[in-house]
Amino acid sequence: MKKLLSITLIAILLLTLIPASAMAQEPVTCQDEVTVQKDDWLSKYADKYLGNAYAWPAIFQWHNQAAEAEPDKFPNQIVNPDLIEVGWTICIPTAEDATDFLATYTEGVDCMGAAAGDEVSVLYQWSGSEEEKLNTVVKPLVDACGLEIVATTTRDAAVLDTKAKSTPPDVVFWPTTAPLTLYTDLLKDLGDLGADPANYAPFWQDMGTVGGRWLAAPVKADIKTIIWYSPANFDLFGYAVPTTWGELEALVEQMVADGNVPWSMGMESGPATGWTGSDFIQDILLVQQGPQYVLNVIDGTVAYNDAGVMQAYETYGKWAKDETYTVGGATGTVSTGFLDAIYKVFSDPPEAMMVKQSGFAGGEVAAEYPDLVYGTDYDFFAVPGARGMQGGADFMMAFGDSPAAKALVAYLAGPRGAREWAGVGFDLSPNRMALGSYNDPALIKKSLALAGAAGFTPDIGDTIPAPFGEAEWKALVDYVNGEDLATALAAAAAAQADALK
Amino acid sequence: MVPKIMKQGALTPWLYLSAALLIMLLFIVYPTIRTVTLSLRDKAGAQPATVDCVAGEPCWGVLENYRYALTNPEMLQALRNNALWILLMVPGTVGAGLLFAVLTDRVRYERLAKTIIFLPMAISFVGAGVIWRFVYFLETGEGAQIGVLNAIIAGLGGQPVAWLTNSNWMVNNVSLWIVGTWLWAGFCMTILSAALKAVPTEILEASRVDGASEWQVFWRIMFPLILPTVTVVTTTMIINILKVFDIVFVMTNGLNGTEVIANRMFKFIVTNQGRSMAIAGLLIVLTIPIMIFNVRRFREQEEIR
Repeated sequence: MKKLLSITLIAILLLTLIPASAMAQEPVTCQDEVTVQKDDWLSKYADKYLGNAYAWPAIFQWHNQAAEAEPDKFPNQIVNPDLIEVGWTICIPTAEDATDFLATYTEGVDCMGAAAGDEVSVLYQWSGSEEEKLNTVVKPLVDACGLEIVATTTRDAAVLDTKAKSTPPDVVFWPTTAPLTLYTDLLKDLGDLGADPANYAPFWQDMGTVGGRWLAAPVKADIKTIIWYSPANFDLFGYAVPTTWGELEALVEQMVADGNVPWSMGMESGPATGWTGSDFIQDILLVQQGPQYVLNVIDGTVAYNDAGVMQAYETYGKWAKDETYTVGGATGTVSTGFLDAIYKVFSDPPEAMMVKQSGFAGGEVAAEYPDLVYGTDYDFFAVPGARGMQGGADFMMAFGDSPAAKALVAYLAGPRGAREWAGVGFDLSPNRMALGSYNDPALIKKSLALAGAAGFTPDIGDTIPAPFGEAEWKALVDYVNGEDLATALAAAAAAQADALK
Repeated sequence: MVPKIMKQGALTPWLYLSAALLIMLLFIVYPTIRTVTLSLRDKAGAQPATVDCVAGEPCWGVLENYRYALTNPEMLQALRNNALWILLMVPGTVGAGLLFAVLTDRVRYERLAKTIIFLPMAISFVGAGVIWRFVYFLETGEGAQIGVLNAIIAGLGGQPVAWLTNSNWMVNNVSLWIVGTWLWAGFCMTILSAALKAVPTEILEASRVDGASEWQVFWRIMFPLILPTVTVVTTTMIINILKVFDIVFVMTNGLNGTEVIANRMFKFIVTNQGRSMAIAGLLIVLTIPIMIFNVRRFREQEEIR
């Protein structure tokens, strides 16, 4: 009996040892062991060793596994992937190990209690390639939690209005903050849904806050206070990128003297005709009056026919109405489509030297002229003298607080969603966690411009109520077509007073 | 003596009509009443329109939205444009329809001609708007003219014209009327052609034998006989033109002096419901005279029977 007992005891002891031995770490194979230098970060290593800056989580996790297995070799574990110290030794996995790891990587994805098969209804304006980019961004979340995203695509505010009042979508992505004022009581506080406001700069938080509740987080942004040009053409004619507004005006005169047309302007855009002119006026206001003035125009403190606005219109009109300064003169400005206006600067031979347009213009040029190289054939510079950055943004707002909705909101407002967004190149992500994850050189330059912006003013055209916006565009088109400035602006000012009272 | 089984009770006609009346009540009478009610309310429909009154400006109380519809400069432009559309386009379409009806009647390839002229009615009005936008397209830079009209003009050595974005609003409106006429002439032609065919040929032969010229035959004999049909077509066209929207929205969105009533209504439909409904109410009021005219004509025709 005693013998049996002792054999059983030994057997049990042996059995408990087996899992323990299985737990003993095997040495982890490293492709290389690098010592951290100044200005190194994980995505740099990922780009160098794994061919994809975006694969840095593999290094993050692999190194930590190596540190656990061989703490003498790798004394420092990475706690925060953004923070690696000079002098640390990092273990880089082999490419195959990295790929295997990334296939199952679910860091940054918190399902927030959502079960597989849960549906989250989403409404946005994107379609085609834009919609595909969004799907790529949320794919890790969908795969990890088994969520089903039921999407509606529409650009019609009336559709959003009908749905909001009957069967609101769980999450809506909209290019203006208008839904904030229209559906304040129906929207949920994003903090309650698991989003972290600290990931956004204060001006973004302010833009999305109504009555102390944080209702909108920007997921996509584009900067607009930039001018696109061809460095090749500039070199050809000996033009330098201007750094002050005075230099820009002198450059325009120099171009005219050389027989070149400085500007390509196109306001035609179907029901939205006039928006490019509105952007230009806003940038001129940022130069001449400053960002606070622009905010005052948006909320109605400054009337639209104020002297400052008139001065901006006159500056714009000097260039927009004259065919020595812009292609086609007034007729050209009013009749040319905004895309055609972009192409004219980069055609061969070019019809104009510069076009003031948002960041998306780069993508359009690349699509239309695939042989051109960013940096050599097309590039942008910030509007000189602008005291702030004008931009557009798409905001995420939530009508529902189901677990699936929480998962989506927390994901996009968190580090993983931000990095995925930057990596896929769906414009800029205002989420602070996105910095360092861009792959496209143009986007990197823009992200730095946005991060360094002294102030950010939302695009007037996107922020003001529709009747005021349309009156503004009408005033622009009428003015360029020859109407008296005071009359045109008076009508817009009346619409402004009416819409904002 | 009428057998009892064939006598209709006083209630029977109402039973036959009840289904149609119910549908009309639900889809026409109720929305109209609701439109008028909403037009007396503010932008969200919650409070009476008096809250939209601005201190220091004339206020029409609960009819504030109607004050906007009748005095705002954009609405006045829209009313002016609709009036011009009616004055110039109705004779245009009816005249074109009449002309085509008479001419196609006399050729061998009548059915082919009629099909081609009627074809624009078959495509959506938005589609027609998009097609004509390309026809009117203007290229101001160095590129080739891709708009048909400007390509022809440039090919003949002239200066391309801005058809939709001209500083002269009349040019823009005429461009839109051409599109409207192109769309509706086929409709007018079909109806008028049917009426023409109903004119007894003996009368026409007799008049020709009596020495009347073709012109006299048309104006003195054909036209008076088809006058009822012409009236129907004209009133239909007037109502259509009062409601015109797609052409204007797709081609110019009301810019450059081309605003119309329906476009103004659409602009406010989400942001200021009361105003939008007031403009719709105005449109109903403008259509009433035509409705009265139509009803009177039906009565006259009934009396003739």
